[in-house]
Amino acid sequence: MLRLLVLRDLQTQYTKFRLGYLWTIIEPLGMAIVLWFVFSMLLGPRKLGLQPYLLFLSIAILPWWWFTKGISSMARVFQKNRGQLRVSLLPTQMWVLRVLIVTMMEFILSLPVIVVAMVLTRSWPGPLIVLFPLGIALQFILMYGLGLLISSWAVVIPDLARIVRIVMRAMFYLTPVLYSISNIPPGIRPYAALNPLVAPLGLYRVAWWPEEHESSFEFAVSLAICLIIFVIGYFTFRRLEPRILKEA
Amino acid sequence: MARIVITPDLGSVVAFDGAGVRLPKRERRHGSKRKQRIRRIAGEVSREEVWFLREASFAVTPGESVAVVGHQGSGREQLLRLAAGTLIPDEGTVRRSCPVIPVMNLGGALSRGYTVRQNIYLVAGLLGMLPDEIAARLPAIAERANVQKILDKYLGDTSRAVRGRLAWSIAMATEARAFAIAGALVVGQPDFMRECWDIVEEMKADGVTFLVASDKPSELIRFCDRALLLDSGTIVAQTTVADALDRLKLIEPPKDQVHFIVEESDDDDDEDLV
Repeated sequence: MLRLLVLRDLQTQYTKFRLGYLWTIIEPLGMAIVLWFVFSMLLGPRKLGLQPYLLFLSIAILPWWWFTKGISSMARVFQKNRGQLRVSLLPTQMWVLRVLIVTMMEFILSLPVIVVAMVLTRSWPGPLIVLFPLGIALQFILMYGLGLLISSWAVVIPDLARIVRIVMRAMFYLTPVLYSISNIPPGIRPYAALNPLVAPLGLYRVAWWPEEHESSFEFAVSLAICLIIFVIGYFTFRRLEPRILKEA
Repeated sequence: MARIVITPDLGSVVAFDGAGVRLPKRERRHGSKRKQRIRRIAGEVSREEVWFLREASFAVTPGESVAVVGHQGSGREQLLRLAAGTLIPDEGTVRRSCPVIPVMNLGGALSRGYTVRQNIYLVAGLLGMLPDEIAARLPAIAERANVQKILDKYLGDTSRAVRGRLAWSIAMATEARAFAIAGALVVGQPDFMRECWDIVEEMKADGVTFLVASDKPSELIRFCDRALLLDSGTIVAQTTVADALDRLKLIEPPKDQVHFIVEESDDDDDEDLV
């Protein structure tokens, strides 16, 4: 059932526009190029992040894209599927998983962007690339937990979807997408590590920049936060499930 | 963590034990969406919850057909939804020994952006059928709904009547042992409705259990073995259908009617990512 919904969603996505699949590539690539231009050409001398910057950016932008897209549609998932939810005898979490898997598939389909960036900058990953799938798994767990949390609260607070959008925008600058966690002054670095996205992003990047390894303490903190969010999300969802069904 | 738990050795098909549910009270919504939002912020729309059903206790034995009799807003629909498990009780428990298929609002689950075939998979899947089962029963569903020729057309291009037929045909194809039917909420042409009731009667003879809420007394008298009489959320009597219908006339319909308006989902997909 889940597979049917996911396939159908992807199909709509890719047949709606003439360029179809290409948009999955063009959108994040365009964004990476714009940001690369601003932060490495215009603001040249002050080096941000690690080199080559274009690659550094694209590796973080794709997962970020997945994250925001997923979370903001999860905030509306029960509003959108009200008709189906009313008669569904299947577990309620399925709707959250559906959004999560669809956005993850899009993310995986957009991975060629990284290959393009790799070719452009002629830099190849080291053996730690094996951690990349682990990053995906971790981000999946994080987003599932957060999705359960946000989707159920969105039923109680109808305006949560809007709030989430604002928070996401702030998160973009608070998350090491444009920069590396090692760019943050050591004094406030532990606080930056409270951001759950730090860990998956670190796992993605470490294959190209093994020196990122030095921030493993921050990664560990962030990892713990991911797991805590999952547990909180799971129990919140269970508690609010009757409420979700009532609003359906 | 499945929501619907099946207790096979229950002895009855559905057992309510002091079950009740409260829902947010909703006034009839009028005005535009923007107006509604302003009203909500201004606190004019209360989000307080009211009990729609309280301390309902009864059991339905296998093969029985039970009519749920009451005025609009007396908790009929909530009782059926609790029985099917599309609503979770706030007090008491509801247990069932087999899946109870909710035959209400099925039209709302159909999706216009899907083809007829995809819709069959969608709704049958939501009702718990597995893909293989759906594939096997697809021809039967299509024949009953009379949609063989338009299987790959988009549902948005079909008529209302087709959608009603489709929803019914899918529900009946689940071959479940129990159904919760809100007859008034099923759309369809009269002759198709009659056909539906014929099928239902056939299944009843086969030992299938039914819970029925309908606004047509004739259907209830013809079809049901006994009745639950509901007065504003309380089961006031468990009696024969004829008696329940008689006593219903003595109950005044609730004055402050609570309406449920199904909102269209808003499809604003303006996503900005940075």
